[in-house]
Amino acid sequence: MVTYDGGANQPGAPRGGFVSRYLLRSDHKIIGLGHLWLALFSVFLGMGMSLVMRIHLVWPGAHILFFSTLADTSERYATLPLLHGSLMIFFVLTAAPQLGFGNYLLPLQIGAREMAFPALNLFSFWGSVISLVGMTAAFLAAPQDGVTIWIISISIFLASALCSAINFSVTAIDMRAKGMTLPRLPLTVWAWLVNAILGMLIFSILLAACAGLLSDRFFDTHFFPAASFLASQPSNIAADPLPALWQRLFWFFAQAEVYVAMLPCFGFVSHLIATFSRKPVWRERLVVLALCAVGLVGFCVWGQHMFSSGLNPFSPLVFSVLAASLGVPAAILVVSWLATLWKARIQLNTSLLFALGFVSLFLSGGISGIFLARHGIASGAVSEDFVAGHFHLVMGVAATFAILAALFFWFPTLFGRRLNESLGRTHFWLTFAGVYCVFMPMHWMGLVSQSAKNAGAKLSFIAAWIGPARSFITAGILVTIFAQGIFLFNFLWTLLRRERVEEGNPWRATTLEWTEASPPPPGEHGNREPAVYRGAYEFGVPGVSDDFIPQHVAPDRVAKAN
Amino acid sequence: MPGTIAPPDIELILEDSRGGGGGGERPPDGGDDGDHGDFDRQRRRRPASPRRFSTAMAIAIVSILMFFMALASAFLVLHHSSHVWVAVQLPRILWVNTAVLVGSSFMLERARVRLSLGDDRGFRKLWLVTTVMGFLFVAGQLVAWRQLARQGVFIASNQASSFFYIFTGAHGVHLLGGVVALLFVGVRNFEKSQISRPLAAEITSYYWHFMDGLWIFLFALLYLGK
Repeated sequence: MVTYDGGANQPGAPRGGFVSRYLLRSDHKIIGLGHLWLALFSVFLGMGMSLVMRIHLVWPGAHILFFSTLADTSERYATLPLLHGSLMIFFVLTAAPQLGFGNYLLPLQIGAREMAFPALNLFSFWGSVISLVGMTAAFLAAPQDGVTIWIISISIFLASALCSAINFSVTAIDMRAKGMTLPRLPLTVWAWLVNAILGMLIFSILLAACAGLLSDRFFDTHFFPAASFLASQPSNIAADPLPALWQRLFWFFAQAEVYVAMLPCFGFVSHLIATFSRKPVWRERLVVLALCAVGLVGFCVWGQHMFSSGLNPFSPLVFSVLAASLGVPAAILVVSWLATLWKARIQLNTSLLFALGFVSLFLSGGISGIFLARHGIASGAVSEDFVAGHFHLVMGVAATFAILAALFFWFPTLFGRRLNESLGRTHFWLTFAGVYCVFMPMHWMGLVSQSAKNAGAKLSFIAAWIGPARSFITAGILVTIFAQGIFLFNFLWTLLRRERVEEGNPWRATTLEWTEASPPPPGEHGNREPAVYRGAYEFGVPGVSDDFIPQHVAPDRVAKAN
Repeated sequence: MPGTIAPPDIELILEDSRGGGGGGERPPDGGDDGDHGDFDRQRRRRPASPRRFSTAMAIAIVSILMFFMALASAFLVLHHSSHVWVAVQLPRILWVNTAVLVGSSFMLERARVRLSLGDDRGFRKLWLVTTVMGFLFVAGQLVAWRQLARQGVFIASNQASSFFYIFTGAHGVHLLGGVVALLFVGVRNFEKSQISRPLAAEITSYYWHFMDGLWIFLFALLYLGK
């Protein structure tokens, strides 16, 4: 058969050595998997860091392997949360749902054969790798050099993420197969698209701030002067607002970064709940609007982190209203998930369990977020355990649950195998109980220590519980990390076993990635372009023999029920 | 054969009100499709739409704009809050540089007109003039740096001078990228490439005019921020 382009762009089976076959392949599937492997490495490293921090908090004198050999300074301890945070935020929460699953699945779901710019994609993947190496190296370097290396690594990551954001937007806008109109896009693709546009806007802001920081370090400029510098200046220089500049630029990025991590997760959860409820997404168009609204409002709420840092007195009101108005799209999403589940014949497997766990965590974390959107409470409780509990629950853990749900769901696509269900359920329940045991007491501790500050000695008897609560949290962390060991075993064992999935579409899903072989063959597979005839969530259509109609099935080919 | 003609792109954006995208069009050859069941409706792959290059350029421009807006807002915040703002005496050559850059945008458009008329030699000549003017602008900026340095104004001297060097430096780096693109479009053989020379020239022109406008904005900011 003669292909359209005469086979010029059909590399077919990969040739060459290891380097050209894996390291320099611009195949979106290999790059997506690469990002997922980076995320897996980072999540276990970051989890180890948090364990070290908790152990240090409960048993300050404990000797920890390897860490005991490092210089015992407060700067060293400060780099620990820094590395934990940057690994988790950048390489797990930002990279896994967007760059990992997105790179792998976006072209498959829209019927494109590649991302719009494969070479750019390869470039941004290697940028991420270099950045990860740099950040880890920064931890081991002397504090001052370490911070410089860290800023350079962040800048490299941001530049790569910008390239990816451009690639994702263009792919979703211009590379769709025939018939894949915007209303027919799966919600995952919508989420990736909105997320790419949001990322494209905010990553540049942080990149500019990093350029300022680097210029301060290398050229002795004074964009963000250190407190010691300010103290040594004559008093006629208005010194106070200067640090606020860094906070402004940073939070402009960081508050929206929360939504960068969450948006693809919203897409996953809507997608999975519809598939396992065998029902269309409730009010699909409204959900799309809500995703766009999260992106738009998320871009405008940076000031809510600066209530305590001396902004214009009116701005807290504006940001409070904006931050609270994020509740509207969030509520639409939650109602849509619950309404889709309502009276459905639910297939409760591990993937859906994790998606439901996401909904639960998102709700409990979101409720404490409403408190934080109040100016009065936030200025009191900022930087307390309450905030740590809130954002870990809603951002870190909830997003991780969505990533795990997606991993269990798309494992057949990625590897042609299925993860073990019983191990998966054990993993889910232990993790679910563990994270609630860890982060709920943190909320309580934040509130108690805050009210103790206000009410003086009256609450001292409650304060006596703080120590045991700390130990309880550390015990919770041990359980949670043990549960991740089960996951790691399940993951590796499934990969090593040679038991492959026989059926191409084990979940009976509607989207285009399930029309490919599992896993899809390497290279720009398929010289035929799928045509799309219907929306992404046609489940339980009356008068049809099957309970779902895949997107590529033409109207006259749908099997009618008798 | 009607089935082989790629549909106009706009059709992909609009929701197909007829309920089935593409209706009952059959692919031109059914030979080896029988085994694929539902897949026999799939069309041959079209080459990826060249429209993706202009979309990417539009998005990249917004992204670069955000980068400079962050720096510009930092400039305004620090300028506003500082009591001892030592303004930089902007070197006169900046006016010449600005004129050269605006002139280069003008030449670029004239070159594109030549290209659309099919006058390849005229295009190459004007395109070369644009590229040289781009180089001249960068050289002029370096001269401005040297003049300031001779006056003892360095990047670390004060906040205003830091912003001057950061703005001109960051803009210069971005502009050099544009010069490379100009050289690329002028020199490259487009016969085997995925896009035509007129399209490549058009996309480069977006970037070049954006760099031009961005410089005028930054220059005005520095000038009025005295």
